[in-house]
This record gives sequence, C-alpha cells and structure tokens, in this order.
Amino acid sequence: MLPIISLGCLTPHALSPTLSLSITKPPYNTPLPPLLYSTNPKHNPTNTHNLSMAVSGFEGFEKRLELQFSSHDPVTGIGLRQLDFKSLEQVLHQVQCTVVSALGNQHFDSYVLSESSLFVYPTKIIIKTCGTTQLLKSVQPFINHARTLNLHIIALRYTRGSFIFPQAQPYPHTSFHEEIVYLEDSIPHHLCYRKASVIPSKLTSHSWHVFSAGAVEYPDDVPYTVEVCMTDLDQTLARKFFRHPNDGKNGDSAGREMTGLTGINRINPNAQICDFAFEPCGYSMNGLDRDCYSTIHVTPEHGFSYASFECLGSMYNDMADMVKKAVKVFGPATVSVATTNASDDVCMRIKGAVEQLGMKCRSCSMDVVPAAGMVVFQTFTTRRKRI
Amino acid sequence: MGGQFSSPSPQTFGGKVVTVKSKEDWETQLQNSKTSNKLMVIDFSASWCGPSLFMDPVVQDLANEFPDVDFIKIDIDDFKDVADTFEVKAIPTFVLLKKGKERERVVGVKKDELHRVIEKLRS
Repeated sequence: MLPIISLGCLTPHALSPTLSLSITKPPYNTPLPPLLYSTNPKHNPTNTHNLSMAVSGFEGFEKRLELQFSSHDPVTGIGLRQLDFKSLEQVLHQVQCTVVSALGNQHFDSYVLSESSLFVYPTKIIIKTCGTTQLLKSVQPFINHARTLNLHIIALRYTRGSFIFPQAQPYPHTSFHEEIVYLEDSIPHHLCYRKASVIPSKLTSHSWHVFSAGAVEYPDDVPYTVEVCMTDLDQTLARKFFRHPNDGKNGDSAGREMTGLTGINRINPNAQICDFAFEPCGYSMNGLDRDCYSTIHVTPEHGFSYASFECLGSMYNDMADMVKKAVKVFGPATVSVATTNASDDVCMRIKGAVEQLGMKCRSCSMDVVPAAGMVVFQTFTTRRKRI
Repeated sequence: MGGQFSSPSPQTFGGKVVTVKSKEDWETQLQNSKTSNKLMVIDFSASWCGPSLFMDPVVQDLANEFPDVDFIKIDIDDFKDVADTFEVKAIPTFVLLKKGKERERVVGVKKDELHRVIEKLRS
C-alpha cells in the first residue's frame, strides 16, 4: 500500500488550524502491489540524480492555484471579470509573468501568459504558471482585488507535480513545506478546513502535491478537473514545437500553425482556441468550450521536455478520449494524471484510454481533501521503460 | 467618437473607430464596404469581456496607423444577429472585409497578427 503523507489537520474550530505531520493510509478502491520505495515525510521526493546537474533547464512542471469566491450581493453578475486589466497586470507582475494573448466568451476570460495561463470566471480564478515564477505571491493580491468587488474567498486549492529542477525554485517554492507555511499565512482564518497532502507514485520523480482550504468541508456542485503531466516527449513530435528561423511568422500565426499540424485542434473540435508559439521553442494554448476551459503547455527541449494538458470536466465531453488524444500528440515516456473530484468511472475510463496507447499504469493512489473532494493520482509509463 | 452616417457614400474615418449604434448604421457600413476598395475591420466586442476591453486601445492605435482602413466596433449583445451571421463564438473577434466579403479573421488578442493581416489586405 502506498502511504499518503498528510500534513495538516481538519479543524472546524474558530481558532487557527494547527499543522502537523503524519503518515496515513487511507482506504484504496483497488489493492496495490507492495511498495518499491519508502518516502521520508520530511522532504520532497525528488529525482536525486537531477541534483548533480550543474545547469538546470526550463522547468515545465507548473504550479496551479484555484481560488473560489462568493458574493454577498444577491446577483453576482460578471464578478471577477470586472477586474480591470491594470489590476490583473499588477498581480501578474508580482508573479513575474505577462499576458501574451487572450480570448473570452459568455462564461469566462482566458489569458495566455509568458509562463502559462490565467482563467477568470465570475467567482473563480485559476492561474497556472511554470518556470521559476512565484505563483503564491498572487494569493493575497487576488483576495484583495476581489474584496473591492464585494467578493470573499471561500476555497483555495494549490497543486503541483514534482519539479524536475527543484533547486532552481525561488522562495516560497523551495519546498512543499515552505509553500504550505506561505499559504497558511496568506489565507484568512475562515478557510478553516485545511489539508496538505503529498500523493506518491512508484516513481520518485513523480509525486502530486495538494494544499486545499475551504470554508465548507464538503461543498456541492464542484466540477471535476483533470491535470495531465507528460515528460520525456517523443523527439520527433516535440520538434513540431520549435520555431523555424526566418519563417516569416509571428508568435500568433506560428502558434496557429502548430495547433493544426500537431492535431491539438482535434482534441476538442468544439473549443475556440487561443494559441501562441514562443521563440525559439515552446507553445501554449487555452481552449474555450461553453463554460469549460482547457489548456496545453509545451517545453519541447530534449533533456527536460514536458507537456501538460488540463481540462475542466463537462457532461458534453468525453474526457478520457480527450486525454488520449492529448497524450498521442506528445508520445511521452511518462504520464501522470491527477483528477480532482472526478467519479471512479471517469478515472477508470482515463486509465483505459491511456493504456490503449500502449502505456502501463504503474500506480494509482488517492486522498480526500476538504473543499475539493477526492484527488486521484495515476502514473503511466511506456512498457519498455523500467522503473 | 464616431457618428451616424445616413448616406451610403464612401466615408473617411480618418483614424476613428466607429461604434455601430443601430441596425441602419450597420447596413450603411456594410454597403460602404461593398462599394469601396477600402479594407474594413470589424471589432466584435463586449464590455464584460476582459480580453475584448484589452484590445480597445490597440484597435485605436491601429486606426491611427492605418487611416485608409475603416474600423468599426460591434457590440455582440446589441447586435446578436450580426454576431451570429458572422459566427462569432469568442471575443474579441476581428473580421476583415473587402467589398463586403470576409477575407480574414483574427480571433483573440493577437496584436501582431491583426497588424500583419491589416497590412496585407489594405492595398
């Protein structure tokens, strides 16, 4: 049985919650083969041979933040979408990223950033950044800006995988412990249901980190989210995300070309896509389909290649099919899929879909967190790969 | 900013972004496009959409840079049927017309791309 490292207690008491370290073994739906390694709860499981690398490459693994708000007013209207661009830019400046492109529809606004994406719904903000951005510095500014619109925060969730280059990360991202301390200091007391969890896999290089805090332990109507992380991309496929010198294109037109050539536009043919190709390589896109966002980010360089696909669940879309198509675009050697609040059925279907590509499921672990529900973390590798 | 044009004769916007205010207004603009050689850029926008608002000053700069191009702004709530005719699914959407026909469109905040297609089509 893979142990879950749960840091933090659930305390509905009005006093500030206490943080404690414990290793718990929650019930699993499926029995797992014996542990191949043990985890030291005091440090972040990392791929130790990366620590000897003198130079680090670009960190593709993102940090993701989701902030849920509620309005005191009877009619919320467009809520957070009222935030003017100057205010958003101010917050993004603190995180060290800028807006590269944007697109909206009736339900939400989406922004492609220099280091990933931002989604603004009337009562929800999702911001996902890679590289060495200090994402958590956006928490307090977002909470403050929302307050000016009479919106108060009711839930926060922070998730990330394991960094390829953890030593390159700045404060407060130097360790998960440091991130938790920073988050606890940034959020108001009324978010009293809190939990921090490191969900492991059989791969020391792949763990899933979750911090969740909410005013309500089990909220209704939480849509499910799927976060897919892919590493060791097929080199031929990754090459499609390199710009050609003197191609006569700009980031917008090159991005559009990549979206078509790689088949990304076929993952969800109903989505409106906002894409961008970076120089000399790299690609980002946001997809808009009714009230569902999707987002893809690619770091194609050999040695630290990475791609992510994230999507909000919807009854209109076949999530497993979309995940399968996304993985096929990149041909990775390792895939991790983290779902939040997804049904067993969705998790099983995704597993089946990835296995159809010839990959083998290496682990499936889960944990329940307040305000978000069940988090399931599955990892897959190509059959050739030895762990 | 902008005014009502009652006659179908070609107009010089001269760096102004004209906001379409009525159905007749729109019909006039479309007619203008059909009868002239000028490029017309339609900015389908909405006041509740951040990305759309982001482009307002950008479009004004483009209108100043290309005074020989007509720039018009259509609010998708006020002119839902026009937006539907042009199959506007996300905003901002820029549709470039020549002789009343769509030649290109740019979807989203894409300054460089919008600049490029305007330059390409204006002659």
